[in-house]
Amino acid sequence: MPGFRDLLPDEAEVLREAQESLLEEMRRWGYRHVITPMVESIDVLQLGLSPEQRRRLFKFSDARGEVLAVVGERTIPVARLVAGKLRSAPLPQRLCYAGPVLSADEGRFHQRRETYQVGAELVGASGAVADAEVIALAARCLEAAGLRRYQVDVGHAEFFQGIMDAVKLPAAVKAGVRSALAARDFVALEELLERTPLRSAEHELLLRFPALRGGPEILEAAGGLVRNRRSERALSELAQVRELLVGHGLGAVVGLDLGAIRDFDYYTGVIFEGYGPELGRPVAQGGRYDRLLARFGRPAPATGFVVQLDLVWELLSGAVRPPALPRIDAAVAWTGSGLESAMRLGSTLRLFGMRAVVDTEARRDREARAWWRGIGAENLIQCRGAATVAWTARGGRTRSLPPEQVAARLAAALA
Amino acid sequence: MKVSIAVPTGALLPGALKLMSRAGVMRLSAAELGRRLLVERSGVRVILVRPADVPAYVDHGAADLGIVGKDVLWESNGAHYELVDLHFGPCRLVLAVPEDSKLAGPETWPPLLRLATKLPRTTASWFEAHGQAVEVVRLHGSVELAPQVGLVDGIVDLTATGRTLRENRLRVAATMGSSTARLIGNQASLKTRTDAVQALVARFREAANHGH
Repeated sequence: MPGFRDLLPDEAEVLREAQESLLEEMRRWGYRHVITPMVESIDVLQLGLSPEQRRRLFKFSDARGEVLAVVGERTIPVARLVAGKLRSAPLPQRLCYAGPVLSADEGRFHQRRETYQVGAELVGASGAVADAEVIALAARCLEAAGLRRYQVDVGHAEFFQGIMDAVKLPAAVKAGVRSALAARDFVALEELLERTPLRSAEHELLLRFPALRGGPEILEAAGGLVRNRRSERALSELAQVRELLVGHGLGAVVGLDLGAIRDFDYYTGVIFEGYGPELGRPVAQGGRYDRLLARFGRPAPATGFVVQLDLVWELLSGAVRPPALPRIDAAVAWTGSGLESAMRLGSTLRLFGMRAVVDTEARRDREARAWWRGIGAENLIQCRGAATVAWTARGGRTRSLPPEQVAARLAAALA
Repeated sequence: MKVSIAVPTGALLPGALKLMSRAGVMRLSAAELGRRLLVERSGVRVILVRPADVPAYVDHGAADLGIVGKDVLWESNGAHYELVDLHFGPCRLVLAVPEDSKLAGPETWPPLLRLATKLPRTTASWFEAHGQAVEVVRLHGSVELAPQVGLVDGIVDLTATGRTLRENRLRVAATMGSSTARLIGNQASLKTRTDAVQALVARFREAANHGH
């Protein structure tokens, strides 16, 4: 099936470990894990999706004729949850989730139709402190997943909205400007703006949109150009969030991007994207969406983000130092009466946190060694009877040991 | 920091090389690039790829920037930024019909128009936007032949001078759009290596506007 793939043990393990480190980091920040269904009623999903996003859902109808869709993201299910089953839970709520999402459009996720997302939502908190918390959490998540180099670009949806309010253009041209920006087509944007006689600072800002990125100095530069309350407020919020992020210890990785282009109908405040090295797409993205919860009957400010787990995995497998490959610590072989002590030894090793595989059939000497090499374990333990076992480390000599010493010796050798 | 640029083989290549030289990006002959496909000099890497592949290289981040015809962008909608109109390689997208055909403006089109094209997406969306039902036959070459053998009512194709159309006894019934070469950029490159990439973009913009 195009767009779908199997993850083989090595890949699945890296992906799962990355997912667990992300969820673990979220737990450390007080975010509780929720699991929402893989499918949602289309009536629920369309409360939060644009027609274009709705088109990209995998849809089907169940036996009762109800139209369902496989989720393409999980912010909407979480909003449904907070406004529904968690209606009486006090706000703010800190929730996180993980799982695959589907897209019916092969192009959207760069030919992949099934991707894996881990996300967190902070519902019921407004203001810069909450914005900064979520951005800092996203950054720490990328670190926890093992990314050494990354950057986070922070922007503000209201900066653009303020410019669009203030810029003097006919409604049709404004609509054109919005769709040109949504398509990231700056040539069309220039053509549109060139045809209008009026020249203002806002025109200039729109034309320079993709280049409005940098450190705190760009806030001042932009502040000198905009003359509308909406954009000015956005700039001062961004300045606050930046300062808070410096307080979070993230000053070195945070950049400001006033030209961030996102779904401006959905986002209402601070927005951000995380980038890893040498990857053409953002690995994490999120922002404030204060209007969504009201559509589910419980108006509340909210902000959150998702990490694209596939992209984390791509970055990790492309890194100079790949993550330690999952390994099996001990292959436990046995002959005859050794089976019982082999099983006991397997249990003990697992108690020590080691990965141990006990053979399914009796094997001695050369056959046992071939089996050991076959499963790629670090150590071979051979149980020939109850009294002693033979231990061979990879590239080492074979030694006889009393069974009760094996776990401690192995743990020492592996450490 | 190194910046890579994807340039297309074919009709746009001479213009792309001329522009790169005028912009002071790299002086490079078509022969040298054609022989090596990848040339790296003083912080810039130029890769030669098929025109339709330029957006793929840029979208996936294998190239930071790309030079590509607008017509190719019509057919592929990716996540790249379209940054600069480079003002060379102009051509028109036209609906062409046989010289003896009765078809002309929209009022003469039948309820269902059968068209052959190498640009199926562009064709379908243009006619959809104009409320005309079409059946699109996707061909990979020699589109001009299709109406002569009765496969379709007309063709949608790109033309610079109209010569190929005339040679095949076709005339233009409608102009659907016009295309020039564009500079596109990868979204992440613009964010993560802003200074190096934007500096090159500025040089391209300068050179494109001066030659214009």
